[in-house]
Amino acid sequence: METTSSRPVESVTPSPSPPTPRPNGERGAITSPLSPLGRGVGGEGTPPLLLFDRVSKWYGPVLGVNQVTLELRGGITGLVGAHRAGKTTLLRLATGQLRPDLVDVSVLGHDAWTERGKRLVCYCPDIDAFYEEMSGEQFVFTMARLCGYDAAEAKARTAAALDTVRMTGRADRVLRGYSKGMRQRIKMAQALMHDPKLLILDEPLSGIDPVGRNEFIALYRQLAERGKCLLVSSHELDELEKLTDHVAVMARGRIAAVGTLTQIRDLLDDHPLSVRVDAERARPLAGALMALPDVVGVELRDAGTLIVQARNPRRFFQELTTLVLEEGYEVSHVETLDDSAEAILGYLLGGRARR
Amino acid sequence: MGVHLLNYRPWRGEFKEPSASVWPIARVGLRMMFRFWPFWVIYGLGLMIFLLFFFGQYLLAWAETQTAETDVRVGGFGSADPRVLIGVLRNILKLNGSGETYRNFLWYQGYIVMVVLALAGAMLVGNDVRHGSMPFYLAKPLSRWHYVLGKCLAVAVFINMMTTLPALALFVQYGLLDSWDYFLDHARLFFGILGYGAVLTVTFSVLLVATATWLKRTVPMIMTWATMFLFPRLVAPLLVDGLHFDARWRLIDLWNDTYLLGNWCLGIDLEQIRPSPQPAFAEAAAVVVILCAVCLTYLLRRVRAFDIVK
Repeated sequence: METTSSRPVESVTPSPSPPTPRPNGERGAITSPLSPLGRGVGGEGTPPLLLFDRVSKWYGPVLGVNQVTLELRGGITGLVGAHRAGKTTLLRLATGQLRPDLVDVSVLGHDAWTERGKRLVCYCPDIDAFYEEMSGEQFVFTMARLCGYDAAEAKARTAAALDTVRMTGRADRVLRGYSKGMRQRIKMAQALMHDPKLLILDEPLSGIDPVGRNEFIALYRQLAERGKCLLVSSHELDELEKLTDHVAVMARGRIAAVGTLTQIRDLLDDHPLSVRVDAERARPLAGALMALPDVVGVELRDAGTLIVQARNPRRFFQELTTLVLEEGYEVSHVETLDDSAEAILGYLLGGRARR
Repeated sequence: MGVHLLNYRPWRGEFKEPSASVWPIARVGLRMMFRFWPFWVIYGLGLMIFLLFFFGQYLLAWAETQTAETDVRVGGFGSADPRVLIGVLRNILKLNGSGETYRNFLWYQGYIVMVVLALAGAMLVGNDVRHGSMPFYLAKPLSRWHYVLGKCLAVAVFINMMTTLPALALFVQYGLLDSWDYFLDHARLFFGILGYGAVLTVTFSVLLVATATWLKRTVPMIMTWATMFLFPRLVAPLLVDGLHFDARWRLIDLWNDTYLLGNWCLGIDLEQIRPSPQPAFAEAAAVVVILCAVCLTYLLRRVRAFDIVK
């Protein structure tokens, strides 16, 4: 069963609702409460791939993460949040670089801090600090040795990992001469080399050219389909949305929300969904829409364009469909304006969404 | 790009213990030290010191076979009375196979080692902390102590390559030139060389990793090492020899403390050590132990804080 479930401690809690149909447009894709990718490893009765159980971490007097509860069982989950929201701490806790001050982080039932836990996880950090005098191949080989492989196995896995990220034949050059994209590929190779169950990727698409991005996105999808669990932290929300619509939103050291973008958007009652409706008879349609109980506002932007503010999006779209069919309005375009990851993040973190 | 290329397959072998990761970490460090070409100038100086002792001992052995002559030619340097030559080599340069021979060699090589370590500290350890490379290590199945041990091992290997191993080579050379009995009669020197090397290894590896973790950059590292080793080295003789303070004031000179311990390892009496007077061996040992304990305590705290997010 492909699941990526959560037990958030904040007020925004995604509900396990069925897939919600959305109108046309890029941002209105059909979503699922479960991650769309991946078979998942931990089914019911088996420990989750990654479990944060009321985890807290202090840096002296500063609280890094605060009672975070998060459970991942497979697929791709995006991790988003503002700067200093606690994302880095969460990733470091998941990869066993940090030990929580309270309660546990476990990977398939093993403490993430221990050697057994770390063997199941890989980490592709956002930092770009290598030993510049080493070749990419030497670097990946050294990382393989650190994983506990003997020299022959480490060499074989190095070759395979470099092949996967398309660095074969280029990895014998010293790292100093690598482009940003090549360095990103080397980082990915050292992460993939030991066949981890859980992949923690911090800004994995940063600095990669568009062709490379598509390759990496395809790779991540394939990994998820093979049952791997990916937790991807990224500031590039547009790219993240191409990869997954299942996100965990962090704010002030807490998980503010976990779920699909649709689920999270539906729960933002304080911020009615903005929907653009292009119709020939816009003014009468605006009047009809105002009569709907879920519509809180309609703006007539120009001759044929309405911006509708609606609360219960699912019911609103049903009512809109009914209205259009029964009253014979000719609607040429319907598009949600603020259910993108960026918009949702803006609302959750107290800012304004981009219209 | 596809995962099928990874040829994922279950690992049928035995994973090595995390302690096995210490050597790969050390090897990376050593590779960096030996790839940085300016260091080879300093390594060249070290090699010259070794060759000076090596050929000095050879010259002594040769001169001792020429005592029947009144005048011998020494390469292109002119001619000399072999007895005078033997006296210079044995008594002044101390190339006599005694503990003083190896002590002097280790003393000179120690300077070379110090200079390299001061320059390489930032490259070995500081850059990892400064540039944030630690996650590459800490996300692997090893603890942060394995990382520290790996870095200390790199320093230890380097120190022993520059000091202990060449000193042992000189010991073997002297025994071969002299007689096999030399090895039996002077077995203590063998262990003394290992002991002096161990003192240098432990003291400087712990000190280097601690200071490099703290300072991170090359210039502060050089300034701090210069302050630690050169400044007390100038002040201590002024206090003890000039102002006639107690000999214990020499304990502020860490280089002298390790030198005293080296003398103790090689069985050289305190009275024979110049400059005189010197503090007791035990007092020098106490200073070195306290310094190492302070460095380890700092490392314990600092390594725990490797994860601090600024």
